[in-house]
Amino acid sequence: MAEELVLDTAIRDWVLIPLSVVMVLIGILRYFVSKLMRTSQLPDSKIIKEGQVIIRARNLRAAANFIPVKAFRARKVYYTNEENGLLHVPKGQAQNPQAQMFSDPNMAMDMMKKNLSMIIPQTLTFAWVNFFFSGFVAAKIPFPLTQRFRSMLQNGIDLSTVDVSYVSSRSWYFLNLFGLRGLFSLILGEENATDDTQRMMQMSGFGFDPSKSLGAEKDGLDIVQHDWVLPKFEQRAEAVLRKRLSS
Amino acid sequence: MASHDESGKKSNENEMPTFNAENLQSNMKVVYYCRTFMSIIGGVIAGICGFTGLMGFVVYVLVMAITSVCLTARAGFSIHSYFDSWNRVLLDGFLGGLLSFVLFWTFAYDIVHIF
Repeated sequence: MAEELVLDTAIRDWVLIPLSVVMVLIGILRYFVSKLMRTSQLPDSKIIKEGQVIIRARNLRAAANFIPVKAFRARKVYYTNEENGLLHVPKGQAQNPQAQMFSDPNMAMDMMKKNLSMIIPQTLTFAWVNFFFSGFVAAKIPFPLTQRFRSMLQNGIDLSTVDVSYVSSRSWYFLNLFGLRGLFSLILGEENATDDTQRMMQMSGFGFDPSKSLGAEKDGLDIVQHDWVLPKFEQRAEAVLRKRLSS
Repeated sequence: MASHDESGKKSNENEMPTFNAENLQSNMKVVYYCRTFMSIIGGVIAGICGFTGLMGFVVYVLVMAITSVCLTARAGFSIHSYFDSWNRVLLDGFLGGLLSFVLFWTFAYDIVHIF
């Protein structure tokens, strides 16, 4: 039954638009709050040193084919030498940075603060939507969905004959939640913490970084096959110069 | 669209293609911003025109295709000096703007047609 419901214009004025505006404002507020709260973190010099060594080893691996074989081998030995190579970490020490990071009270509190600043606005807004805006049809989504979505999208509406396209305001909240991520990335620049998956990736990549990736870089350097791409470079340079001088 | 951000990033090697990672990343960011913006605009247009159902998704695909063509034209049709493969500019991020499109499509459709 595809009858056309006529919805009150007051719903548009007092539900859809305020909800969207509130979510945008809360997103902007959360961005600024997280920026303010993030400035109190003193970087540890040992971790930074290890990070820089990893970056240098990675650059060597990426550009290995542009330097002669002997130079590459000398650099490789410098990094992967068993006694005093930079990437070689004795087994006993390898576990320390990781354990230290997770038991450090400052770090744990920082992560918890980030978690809270993400979850609390969402929970509050969801509770607000449920309290004020439940029990009526809020919007019509322009594409048809199957009957299985009815229980998810039409929470407050207890009529089962209404078309599934007419949704309650809870689903408008979720639609806004996902759809405004694109808008936030446009108006706030790249550094916005509104994306949950991004935050997860940042958190998981943070704890494992020093100890495991040193070993990984060492293995990576060991397996690089050197294939020099500039074998006859002097001849090519000579040819180019001749062409230039003669034209 | 920023004109000076899409800097060329291939170095002077004739045989071996090398890429400046920073420029490549910045170009990808420009592509992402363009796609997001166009999907929002496309959503508003689809809502105002009253498309429903499958027609709306056809409009989304159309808008994304137009964005790809315009990006290619902006890069002067020589993709390889700005990106490392054709897929990056044509297909990457194709579905990323879908949610924003649906949000603004619903919004515009409701405001205009069920007012």
